[in-house]
Amino acid sequence: MIRARTFTDARAQSHTNAELNWWIFMRISGLILMFLVLGHIYMTFIQVSESDATYDAVVNKLANPAWKFYDWLILSLSLLHGANGARYSIEDYVRSRPNRAWVKGVFYTVVALVFAFGTVGLFSI
Amino acid sequence: MRMYRGREGQWAFLLHRLSGLAILAYLLLHVFSIGSFIFGEEFYMVIHERYDLWPFRVGLIFVTAGVVYHAFNGLRIIIMDFTGFGVAYQRQMWYGVLLISAAAFVYAAWTLYPRIMGGY
Repeated sequence: MIRARTFTDARAQSHTNAELNWWIFMRISGLILMFLVLGHIYMTFIQVSESDATYDAVVNKLANPAWKFYDWLILSLSLLHGANGARYSIEDYVRSRPNRAWVKGVFYTVVALVFAFGTVGLFSI
Repeated sequence: MRMYRGREGQWAFLLHRLSGLAILAYLLLHVFSIGSFIFGEEFYMVIHERYDLWPFRVGLIFVTAGVVYHAFNGLRIIIMDFTGFGVAYQRQMWYGVLLISAAAFVYAAWTLYPRIMGGY
């Protein structure tokens, strides 16, 4: 994990290219997600009520390929961003190597299953 | 956390982490409950009718405020990382982030208040 104040520090601290790429990914995906997620919250929660999010409303919305793509972009970017953020936390707080291995294993499995489930859901209708 | 020891930076870091993990937990549940429409209308609505109850609506106010905090504090982190002046103003920027988050909380609560009371 990289703890850096500046991009130059990050590059100096990163032991591997992968770690530096994740560091960059967090910033870029975060910036994109800011617009996607705040827009999503505004459109589907502030503008309309929970009780408006009926089965028919969800199916109708997802009939439009643009919303499918929008939602899938949020799904994939936020799961990658969230999984990597949680990995930072696991590496900070789960100190023993064997524990860290199975905690990560279980966690990555759950994230992969949710991603598969969400993707199948989005593109099955 | 060497670089974040003490004062505002430490709280900014802690809140960023906690809000991030909370949003992730919400996201995993959210994908499951919305995605459950593939099991049919009945299954979807059984879950979804719970969300019309007021505790879940109050929860949405916190989700909104948490996402706004995480988003704007993330922006603050990006500014610190990629500009020359970012670190010097990180404390002032954090108070700005808190102000924006509080405003989002009040705005969401204001919008949600009749729905919480009326249940629609």
